[in-house]
Formats: sequence, C-alpha cells, structure tokens
Amino acid sequence: MRRIASLCFFVLVTIAIDARIGAGAQQPAPARNPSATNARIYFIDLKDGATIPSKVKIRFGIENMEIAPAGVVRPNTGHHHLLIDTPLPPIDQPIPSDFNHIHFGGGQTEAEITLPAGEHTLQLMLGDQAHIPHNPPVVSDVIHVRVDAATVEKTRTPAPAGASVSIVEPVDGATVGRNVKVKFGVSGMELAPAGTNKPNSGHHHLLIDTPLPALDREIPSDLNHLHFGRAQTETEITLAPGDHTLQLLLGDHEHLPHDPPIYSKVIRVRVSDKSPDKTAQAAPREPTKSGRQPSPPDAAVYFVYPTKGESIYPNSTIRFGLRNMGVAPAGIAKPNTGHHHLLIDVDTPPLDQPLPSDLNHVHFGNGQTEKKITLSPGRHTLQLVLADERHIPHDPPVISERIEVFVKTIRKRSRRR
Amino acid sequence: MRHGRFATGLFFSMIALMLASLQIAPAQAAERTASAPQSVVYFHYPLDGMRVPERFTVKIGLKEMGVAPAGVNKSFTGHHHLLIDTDMVSLDEPIPSDYNHIHLGGGQTEVVLTLPQGTHTLQLLLGDHEHVAHQPPVMSKKITIYVR
Repeated sequence: MRRIASLCFFVLVTIAIDARIGAGAQQPAPARNPSATNARIYFIDLKDGATIPSKVKIRFGIENMEIAPAGVVRPNTGHHHLLIDTPLPPIDQPIPSDFNHIHFGGGQTEAEITLPAGEHTLQLMLGDQAHIPHNPPVVSDVIHVRVDAATVEKTRTPAPAGASVSIVEPVDGATVGRNVKVKFGVSGMELAPAGTNKPNSGHHHLLIDTPLPALDREIPSDLNHLHFGRAQTETEITLAPGDHTLQLLLGDHEHLPHDPPIYSKVIRVRVSDKSPDKTAQAAPREPTKSGRQPSPPDAAVYFVYPTKGESIYPNSTIRFGLRNMGVAPAGIAKPNTGHHHLLIDVDTPPLDQPLPSDLNHVHFGNGQTEKKITLSPGRHTLQLVLADERHIPHDPPVISERIEVFVKTIRKRSRRR
Repeated sequence: MRHGRFATGLFFSMIALMLASLQIAPAQAAERTASAPQSVVYFHYPLDGMRVPERFTVKIGLKEMGVAPAGVNKSFTGHHHLLIDTDMVSLDEPIPSDYNHIHLGGGQTEVVLTLPQGTHTLQLLLGDHEHVAHQPPVMSKKITIYVR
C-alpha cells in the first residue's frame, strides 16, 4: 500500500516537473545553471522505510558534482537543500527557506535534525549559488522514515520540592500470596487522571520487576509498567511465585516523569509457592560519574559459539550470550540493556567513546544475537562488547574475553571418490 | 556512528517498507507484527532430552531477527517468552504472564530457572512490543527435559 502510494507520489511529482518545465518554456524564467550528466545526490546510510530516532544525524552524498557554499559561482557545483514532508518546490525559482526546506548554504554535507514522532518524507535537492535548482534538477529519491515515539524528547513537568510517592502496602521484604494488593501513597502532589494538565499533579505507574525507565521519555506501558491513568490509589496484581520488585513512579498528564522525578524506593516481595520465576532484575542505579550508562555488577557478555581456541569453518555463525542484562536495538535508551558489537582482529578500542563502525567493529544495532561471518583461513581474534543506545560501552564495560579462533582451510572436494 | 542501524541490505529495507505499510493499514483486530523470513528461535541450552539440575540457565538463540525490550516497536525485533509445561493456546492474544509463561521483557537472552524434579517441557515464543506472537509466529520446538 505504502509502496503504491510512494509510486503514485513519484509519478505525480514527475508530472508536476513536466508541467513546470512546460510552463517555464512559455514564461522566461531566471537562467538555471546546467547540472552535470550523471549528477546524483543521495542520503548516506538512510534507507527508505527506516525507523529513526527523533534526533538524528543525516548525511548527504553527491556524485559527479561538487559542493560549494551558497553565493559561490563555479560550474558543476551547488549546495544541499533538505525537503521535509513536502513535495518538490517549483524548479525555476529559488528554493524556499522554511521549516520544510532546510538550506545548507555553508556547504554542509551532514545535519542533525529533530523530527516529531510519526511518518515523514525526506528528499534532497541541489541548488546553485542563488538557491535555484539546476537544469535538469538534481534531486534524490524521496525516502520515507518513521520516528519512534519512544525517542521523542519532551519537556518534563516541574515537580515541587519535597514531593514523594511510596508503596504503603505491601511492606519491603514481605511474603505475599499470588494476588497482591498494592496501595500507593503520595505526598506534596495531587493525583490527576492522565490527560489532565494541572500543576503539581500526576498519576501513579507501578514498575514490576523492572528498573526505572528513561526519565525523559514517556513511561512504557506493558506488563512491567502498569499505568493508573484514572488516578487510582491501589490495585490488585497477580504475580508468579518467586521474588519480585515493585516501585512507584509518578507520571504527568503525558505519562512523562516529573522534573525532578518522583519515585518510591524499590521494595522486594516474595510470592509464596515454590517458584521457577527469576525475572526480577537488578535494582536501578543512578547514572555514573563518567556519563556512561551503568551496567549491573554481574553483567557479562560471552561467546556461545565459537569458544576459545576452537577451529571453525570460514563461514561460521558467531552466537552471542549475555548474562544479567537485556538486548535492545541501537537508539533505544533503556536501563540495563545494550546491543552487541563484534570486534574482529583488533585491539580493544577506547571504552569511553562510541565504538568505531567498520569491518573490524561490527555493530548489531537491530538487536541481533548472532551473525554469520566469513573469515579467511588462519588465526583470528574475536571479542564482544556491549554498548548503549549511542554505541558507547557501559560503565563498567561489559566486554568478553578476546578469544582466538582458527579458521580451517577448506580443500575443494575431490571429484574422485 | 549509526552504521549499525542502517547497515541493512536493500532486501531488508524492502521488507521493512512492506512492514511499514502493514503498520499504517487501518487497524484490524488480529493484525500481528510480521516476522522476518526464515527467522528461528531455539535453545542453546538445554537441548531436547537433556538431564539438568534443579537450578539451571536457559540460553536462547535467535536467527534472522533482533531482540528488543517489551514496548519497543521496531521491525523484525521481539522479546523472548519461555513457556514451561504448557501449550500456547491462542497466538492472536498477548502471551499470558504467569508461572507457565515467563516474559523476558528486558530483552534478556538467558534466564535462570528452578524447576521441581521430574519431566518438564520448555518452548520458546518470540513476542512483539505488545507481547503478541509475530506473523508467522517465531516459536521453537517444544523440548522435554528431565530435572533430577
């Protein structure tokens, strides 16, 4: 459906361009600079249909022409214009300059933009020294991107000093039955249903077996994050037998924690019955001094396959294991999660900055936990590093031993039996 | 530094586009998130027929898809659910959260279990951001283990 829509869009744009060229022939327009044959502009590493974070750096590529700042008159040059959620402007006039048409008159080849949640279109258009498209115009394909709502930074509602929430019942360390009544207490704030924007108010969120979520985002809504959007002050939940953690976090009318955030201390309850459930996770921890995401003290990343010293085939699937943390795709900020990076035949890079991304540092930003790779015969080293949503290793780093593997030489199978 | 995010093939982005089109289609009751072709969820440990101690770690492998915590809506990702001594009844509803259905909503790829002695079955099922199985479901074979 979407592809058809984009096809239609493309066709319409093409017709529109033809119409404008026709119109231009009748009315004299400002002379346009010729573009080079085979000139092409495109988005680097941004594919049609991609899901991107709200704040994203976009890089522009150009082939067979060159970039020159606006105002510089030189043949076969131009500067980029980024068209957001808008069709192509008239090609015989200067490209407008507004929110939907962003000029990079300084000759920039990358830009950090912030987009609201939802579907957007992006397109690049080259303009000459006077911001007029070339003849024929040099434009990129229209690409469609989707901005994940979870990545949108919002303004947090201020909270008065001294406001607090607490779990009145059960008490910390209590042993309870499977049906647990939880009572919430609040002081210094008023309770208001979700959607009611009233100063010094909020509604409860009960966090079950999960650390505090990112505090500058909407509180997730799932089995681990229960919303009490009607300003309830108690609930009954059913827990699996075993140890569980409970914590309250107040959210504002948009389910966003306040500034400063108002949350209770974590309480632990034991649900009686012999239990197989071990979903309880490490208690949340404050951000570290280094500014890097904290990792739980017992977290570890390791190779499921191959193991140290193993002989493997040139095409092998490397499988990753992760203990006491979770996997999250790149761009997803969630405590105690990260995504894998496989370092091949390199020393450990600096751990206080984003990991490089190249043939020796393979990123698994989609949350993959295994990867088929091809290695040349001989000795190789492999190492795994977990890193946060910005590709920066945690503090302390969650890093595997650097293992040595031996890649077998495959002899061509003899035709003779 | 966003190479990891975007370094997917053209094929993948085509599929992602189709997925996106599914997502913007008018909401239908039983619309489930698409799984990647040839995706497989499987046990690294234990394996079918194994004898294990009462307390052991289940290690989970996932082929052709990624892991994301519950609540994260990203194409071709999901989080693991471990079904113990149970059959999954309806794939169109959220996976229950109880003694027999353990959610690894934090994106975990392993979980420590303590099971009573005897014969038990384990099965893995990937769920999407809303704890609903994908279409087609990414489910492991049901394995039998002996706890001694």
